[in-house]
Amino acid sequence: MADDTATTDAPEATSDVVTDERREALLAVFVEHLGDGVIEHHLKPGAGLWVRVATEAWALAAEVARDKAGLRWFDFLTAVDWLPSPYGRYEDSAVDVPFPPPMPERSAAVPGYAGGDSRIQVLASVAKAGTDLRVILKVDVPDDDPRIATWSGIFAGAAWHEREAHEMFGIAFDGNADLRHIYLPTEFEGHPLRKEFPLLARVVKPWPGIVDVEPMPGGDDEDDAEATEAEGGDA
Amino acid sequence: MTLMTESQQLAYANAQAADGRVNVELETDDGMVLNMGPQHPATHGTLRIIARLDGEQVTSADVMCGYMHRGYEKLCEVRTYPQVTTLVNRIDWLGSFANEVPFILAAEQLMEIEAPPRAMWIRTILFELSRIANVSLFIGDLALQLGAQTPAFLAFRDREFVLNQIESVTGGRFHPNFDRIGGLKDDLPKGWIADTKAAMGRLRSFCDDMEGLVYGNEIFQTRTRGIGVIPAHVAQSYGLSGANLRGSGVDWDLRRDANVGLAYDQLDWKVWTHPDGDSFSRCWVRLQEVREATKIVDQLCDGLPSGPIMAKVPRIIKVPAGEAYVATENPLGAMGYYVVSRGDIGPFRVKIRSASFNNISIAPWLLRGVYVPDIIAILASLYFILGDIDR
Amino acid sequence: MGLVEKGLLPKPLTKLLNLSRKYSVWTYQWGLACCAIEMGAALAAPRYDVMRLGVIPFPASPRQADLVIISGTVTDKIVPAIRRLYEQMPDPKYVISMGSCTNCGGPYWDSYSVTKGVDQIVPVDVYVPGCPPRPEALLEGIVLLQERIQNEDMQKRWAGETRGEPIVVG
Repeated sequence: MADDTATTDAPEATSDVVTDERREALLAVFVEHLGDGVIEHHLKPGAGLWVRVATEAWALAAEVARDKAGLRWFDFLTAVDWLPSPYGRYEDSAVDVPFPPPMPERSAAVPGYAGGDSRIQVLASVAKAGTDLRVILKVDVPDDDPRIATWSGIFAGAAWHEREAHEMFGIAFDGNADLRHIYLPTEFEGHPLRKEFPLLARVVKPWPGIVDVEPMPGGDDEDDAEATEAEGGDA
Repeated sequence: MTLMTESQQLAYANAQAADGRVNVELETDDGMVLNMGPQHPATHGTLRIIARLDGEQVTSADVMCGYMHRGYEKLCEVRTYPQVTTLVNRIDWLGSFANEVPFILAAEQLMEIEAPPRAMWIRTILFELSRIANVSLFIGDLALQLGAQTPAFLAFRDREFVLNQIESVTGGRFHPNFDRIGGLKDDLPKGWIADTKAAMGRLRSFCDDMEGLVYGNEIFQTRTRGIGVIPAHVAQSYGLSGANLRGSGVDWDLRRDANVGLAYDQLDWKVWTHPDGDSFSRCWVRLQEVREATKIVDQLCDGLPSGPIMAKVPRIIKVPAGEAYVATENPLGAMGYYVVSRGDIGPFRVKIRSASFNNISIAPWLLRGVYVPDIIAILASLYFILGDIDR
Repeated sequence: MGLVEKGLLPKPLTKLLNLSRKYSVWTYQWGLACCAIEMGAALAAPRYDVMRLGVIPFPASPRQADLVIISGTVTDKIVPAIRRLYEQMPDPKYVISMGSCTNCGGPYWDSYSVTKGVDQIVPVDVYVPGCPPRPEALLEGIVLLQERIQNEDMQKRWAGETRGEPIVVG
């Protein structure tokens, strides 16, 4: 799959890249109505379209998606914490390393498709019913005060997803009045999906089976397996 | 010895206090408050509905979930790719195999490998078998909630035939953990095709029985027709999917419209919709889908291609960096996995888009103004599984 | 039951009482997750037919139940409800913990929201391992519990002295 597409504002199709007119047309709608609000995009022909919009344009992007681009079906809204976990994969027990371990540098947070400047990004997916067209919209939320406009006025289903994102990441959604806990007990402390949230059971007892190898029918990649096993580590 | 952490103990104490407060089942200051759950026979598990009533009518309803929240998304981050399927099996526990497929497809998309055709066909068969196992129990349960016991026994009886078939391939009645990146764990056992086709015949007669016994029943029709109507645009803005969306007249099925490599495009089948949008139409669409699924399985059994069931994959799976979102039409509706990989042996972040979470989020809107007994009928027709809501 | 409390019950009568308790176990189904379906298959499906063992699986409330089967993942949020349920049941009461999640956390042993073992909250008589256990395994657990009920010294039980070591199926 050729996913080295140009990450510019205008949709471009170069000859060596498989083109995807339908998704490019979709992107053009966002560019037309949001203007500078579209910061970056990533188009995987035949697979997906990622659009990163400016923080101020987040609510407008939802309206454009629903009313202009015809993406009326709300799929999900969530967030990603791009900082690597300080615990790694919990290979080491608390005996070996201090608890809590130092947080990774802020610069270690590398964003995914369509780039990003903040540690935590909110992303939402909307789709067009009856087709396979779908856009994944991303937006940066400020590091010091994670706060973003709500979508619940535009897509009613977003209200619960925002409650979940608020609980899991501690992001505030301006305009969503009901940000109670949805999954966890009311007094639960911390935001579980942030990378600094520890899984204490693992800190106490590191998982022995970090590398599990199952013999594959017909597969005999012995050399390859040994090579990766060495770095996969015996935990 | 207790493994409870301090914060867990605190949460426990507070939850106890909250429980004590809300468990005053009848408050009468402003209308009456009716608390259903967290454990209630009519809520399929631990869902809790707190409805404020005016006489027999609901003025507002609050849905409290989270009693089954197990933290899948966090746990996926500390597991390797092959270990994740063991976990995600348990999201929608009635159609377990269907949970694995979108995750595996997303990982395959990132690794740019494709499972051989035979593996894809067997995946499709098992996918449809889990749909049948799931939705046939729904039909029995639906009748149970509306006061009929016999269909539940019939559903449990006939469902066993499907579970036997799943078990004889995968070794697990419930949680097969059979899908692998690049193919499947094993091939079909000998004689399986004939047994499956016989089982499909039984399931078709089960559908016929149910059509007369439940759907043709006057009480059932009175309690569901015109009750809990969801217009198409509301359904879309809440992100309803599956039969809940098609019951509102939206002709959308990811199996047909966004096929991600499964064998559906080579078969002759039909997507059922119903224009009414009420409880009856949702249940009716599900029944038709079970029947359609039996036909799909028959066709798949007939046309099963030969060949390997596993593509060439390294023994230790490292998925290249990237992001992929794959959604499939699961028994409960659209289920998708947003997988973010950093080139490691495990995913960096997995967002699980489960159908029931969106499907039940419409409940506060839908339950406003209905009568108390209709709460049960509407919730039954929305059809959710707690593991799929809470994850 | 004044005689029982005073320890004046003759042996044959104890045996008779135990026999009647053994074959009329009113079972409250506390289904939480996947195991609830296998419990449903064991208790309500025609193939397994639990009533032949003298188990009545449909009490209207925990207040009428002798046995509760806790099946599925116990989360920290549901814990108070389980404790309340257990406290509502009249003595003598028995608990079957069905499935790995209920026994010890199972596949969610490292989760932040799952209670690792229902035995932290209520005393458990029978553990049924499996993820989920087959209906037959649950039936065996019930049969083993019935054996224990048959041989129980009611006086000790009433005095709350011991419930014996928990039984593990399999």
